[in-house]
Amino acid sequence: MNLRQKLLLLLSLMVAVVVAAVAWTVLVRIRQVFEQRDQEETALFVSQFQREFQHRSTEVAASVDRIATSEHARSMAFEIVQSGDASPYLNEAQTMAQDGQLDFLEIVGPDGKIVSSAQWPARFGYVEPIGWVDQPTFLKTEDLPDGSSALGIFAYRAIGRTEAIVEPVRIIGGKRLDKSFLADLPIAPGMQIGLYRDADQATSTEPPSLGPGLGVFDPKRLIGTSGEVANAARYESLIHAAIQSGQESSSILYLTNRREDSVNATAIPLKSDTGAVLAVLTVAISRSGMVEAQQHIRAISYGVAAGGILFAILASLWIAARISRPIEQLADAAEEVAGGNWETRVAVRGRDEIGTLARSFNHMTGELVAQRDRLVQTERVAAWRELARRLAHELKNPLFPLQLTVENLVRSRELPEAEFDEVFRESTQTLGMEIANLKTIIGRFSDFSRMPKPQLERMDVNEALRRVAQLYFPTASGGGQGSNNDVNSESKVQCALEAAPELLLIDVDPELIHRALSNLVLNAMDAMPEGGTLTLSTASRDDMVEIKVSDTGEGLTPEECERLFTPYYTTKQHGTGLGLAIAQSVVADHNGTIAVESRVGGGATFVITLPRADESKS
Amino acid sequence: MSRQVAIRLRRVAICCAVAAMALFASARTRPHYGGTLRVEIEGDPWQRPGGLARRMVLDGLTAMSLDGTVRPALAVEWKPENDDHRWQFRLRSGVHFHDGTAVNSANVVASLTAICGSGCPWTAIHAVGSSVVFTSDSALPNLPELLSGDEYRIALQGSENAAIHESIGTGAFQFTGTSKGVVTLTANDNCWQGRPFLDAIEIYTHRSIHDQWLDLSVGKADLVEVGAEQFRQAHEQRLTVIASPPVSLLAITVSDSGALANPSLRASIALAVDRSALFNVIFQKQGEITGSLLPAEITGYSFLFTTDRDLNKAHELHGGATASGLTIAAEGGPVMQLAAQRIALNLRDAGFNAQVVAANVPQHIDLKLRLLPLESKQPQAGMESIVRAAGLAIPVVGQTPVGLYKFEREVLDARMIIPLLYLPRAYAVGGRVRDLRLGPDGAPELAGASLEDGQ
Repeated sequence: MNLRQKLLLLLSLMVAVVVAAVAWTVLVRIRQVFEQRDQEETALFVSQFQREFQHRSTEVAASVDRIATSEHARSMAFEIVQSGDASPYLNEAQTMAQDGQLDFLEIVGPDGKIVSSAQWPARFGYVEPIGWVDQPTFLKTEDLPDGSSALGIFAYRAIGRTEAIVEPVRIIGGKRLDKSFLADLPIAPGMQIGLYRDADQATSTEPPSLGPGLGVFDPKRLIGTSGEVANAARYESLIHAAIQSGQESSSILYLTNRREDSVNATAIPLKSDTGAVLAVLTVAISRSGMVEAQQHIRAISYGVAAGGILFAILASLWIAARISRPIEQLADAAEEVAGGNWETRVAVRGRDEIGTLARSFNHMTGELVAQRDRLVQTERVAAWRELARRLAHELKNPLFPLQLTVENLVRSRELPEAEFDEVFRESTQTLGMEIANLKTIIGRFSDFSRMPKPQLERMDVNEALRRVAQLYFPTASGGGQGSNNDVNSESKVQCALEAAPELLLIDVDPELIHRALSNLVLNAMDAMPEGGTLTLSTASRDDMVEIKVSDTGEGLTPEECERLFTPYYTTKQHGTGLGLAIAQSVVADHNGTIAVESRVGGGATFVITLPRADESKS
Repeated sequence: MSRQVAIRLRRVAICCAVAAMALFASARTRPHYGGTLRVEIEGDPWQRPGGLARRMVLDGLTAMSLDGTVRPALAVEWKPENDDHRWQFRLRSGVHFHDGTAVNSANVVASLTAICGSGCPWTAIHAVGSSVVFTSDSALPNLPELLSGDEYRIALQGSENAAIHESIGTGAFQFTGTSKGVVTLTANDNCWQGRPFLDAIEIYTHRSIHDQWLDLSVGKADLVEVGAEQFRQAHEQRLTVIASPPVSLLAITVSDSGALANPSLRASIALAVDRSALFNVIFQKQGEITGSLLPAEITGYSFLFTTDRDLNKAHELHGGATASGLTIAAEGGPVMQLAAQRIALNLRDAGFNAQVVAANVPQHIDLKLRLLPLESKQPQAGMESIVRAAGLAIPVVGQTPVGLYKFEREVLDARMIIPLLYLPRAYAVGGRVRDLRLGPDGAPELAGASLEDGQ
């Protein structure tokens, strides 16, 4: 992954994380605010609803009060008390209920028996089973003729109570709590109200109640303003909570799997005068508006966030390109420089750090080129000097005997002829030898300057190594592979040949590689004047072949190792300094490398790596 | 002028004045011809039995006098033969139906056959000359009383109009038409009993009692119905009420199948019903409580049948039997429904689960509260009418009071019918109606009524 991609990824991630964090924070906060407002609104609606409910209770009490204080009712009560005959008033309750717009109304005589009942006219003569509590209104479950029962808000009043009349006539009236009552209540848009009652208990002697022992929740018992409430089963837990606690209970109910089909529901237990829960009133306010608003905002947020992220990516792309392009140019330029093209320059833009870096780079490459030129010049001069010194040194050695021989020959003219002849013969012989020596020296220089182009042949590297070993250690075994030892009788050097067991083919010029290896072997033998062990080994290294020539001599210093392959550099008394240079030249011509590993007193090991022959090519 | 002459003249003047007043009074009380009587009723005027239009338009072979004796109507005489197994009724001659068709034995046979079909009390009916002959496998000692009943009125069969309501008869009024719920009857000038005083009767049907009373109070109606339970209220509203003696038996007919196949449960039901509450409260102390099928004034032994409620005994007889819910239905208006509700409550007190249902729903009904008309004041004929109206296929046996008592005891012990109250019928009349009397069945005799102004 390059710098531009990293920058792009980093910036994009950073922006995406920031945008996501901001969007999430905003959404969470919006949701909290919405839900808080929704709950406040729900609480307000519930409060208003309860006030309205209370208002209806007050209306019932007022209706009953109006009936009780009417002249007709007072007259009736007086007649009943005076005559003790209540039969003429059998139908009075129905008339009074109609006048008072009440669903339930019963006239109860002084003896506690029903005189007239609007809801169940046939119940006259039966004892009214209520406790005549001192409450303005109360809830009561009323049995009906058809065997069902109905819940209602009731109020009662005594008619014409005086000191003389201890047990007066009473009327008890009420309004039915059913879907009509619910429908008559002011309902805010999105509000749904329901009433959950226990099963009808037609012949019960006690009013039915929803105590803790409530049986299986029956969704059909939850009625709304238009009959059964949809998804009534979802209210079960809420209604149970209200029944169990006897307190108002609120919760968010999800009526379906869709969030917008959720409601803020409140269950209000409706209790009798004895505290028994007779029914549960549910007030549910739809959250669809809020959820839809939230979803709308969320969709906008997602859109903005996606747009922001997209924009951020594009911006990051531009920024990354803007930042990385000079660096990439610098990197490319550095690679160019590393590849040897020191003339490389980069464009300088701006005065920032990148500009400074570009200027520094250009300055550096300029300096490098200048220094290289100077170094080349210096090395060229040094090489010439070294060459001159070597030439002077090499040539001076044979010239001195030549000069002495010539001077001796000149002086010998004074000698007798026989002696002169002797001297002459010896001098000419010496002169010939020294001249031959000069030719040899000149030939070596000539050879170095004229290294031939390799004529590649495929051969086994072990075979090449064995040829060298046999040259300098004639008794060394020529066949087989593995380890073999031999001792050079002149230098007391022991040779160990450790050839790799497998066939290691290389494409080389056999003569040149023989010459290079010979130089290394001669060097090693020179490094062990007191004798030692020369180890020749081969090994396979992936697609390369490794040849090691090790000695157990004095070893080399790091400085010597560094300059070892420099032409005409030698640490020997009589070396030309061309042996290792030739070896390096040969190896390089075969696309290989040569290196030396050595430490002082630890011997030296020359390692040659050559590419293995491609066996797919013949 | 002497004092004696003066005294004589004064006496003559007084006598003349008295005579003039007597003539005026006579002229005022003498019925006037003409006028249209406006009658309002809650039900159907053609219903059988007791339909008001039916009574005015159709006649029977015999009729019941106010004293409870049978008198001739379309039949002028009758005689039993073969120990009351064969009866021959000779028809009145010169009687015509409203469309002019002469009444003959064939018409009468066709009408009576159409009325009861195969459910007739007699086995066969034949036209023999100007007589109609009834034959029966069992003795029919009270056939003349039976034929005076509302059910057996003669209507012309076969005509197009007659098919609607059996509306062509021989009565004092003939059916003219029905418009917007008003049935119009006009006087039959050729009626064999003589022309009625009224020119026409307009019967406003399906009017609530409240509306009837309201129309009567504002002069829009001349004759309206008053339920037995409404006597007190009618008096409070200063309505002129004419009432009959008790003529209808309020009774529960009990099914002997289903949940009540057990006689003990039926007996428990009979003991659980609180007659006094029905009498005192619902029917406002009108009529009389009865435990027998016939009123005491006819038989004299009614007191032998208990009317007291015995809830403990009812519980004991019920015995915790888990009879499924009982259904009780009432035939009639709101007061009958209320009575049924009360009886249902009484039964709940005895451990029954009783529910009031509508009478016209197609379901098994265990108990039915009904008003059974007493069509004859002759004990055996009256018993027959009650038993027949109750739907009990039991031949009445017992010519003597003791035999009739035994018969009634057996019927009541079977608890197929539980008598509760005998109730009167009553009507409120407007101020211009004259000479209106109620018949022996409590229905108004409009043929003899007239209007004060004759308009």
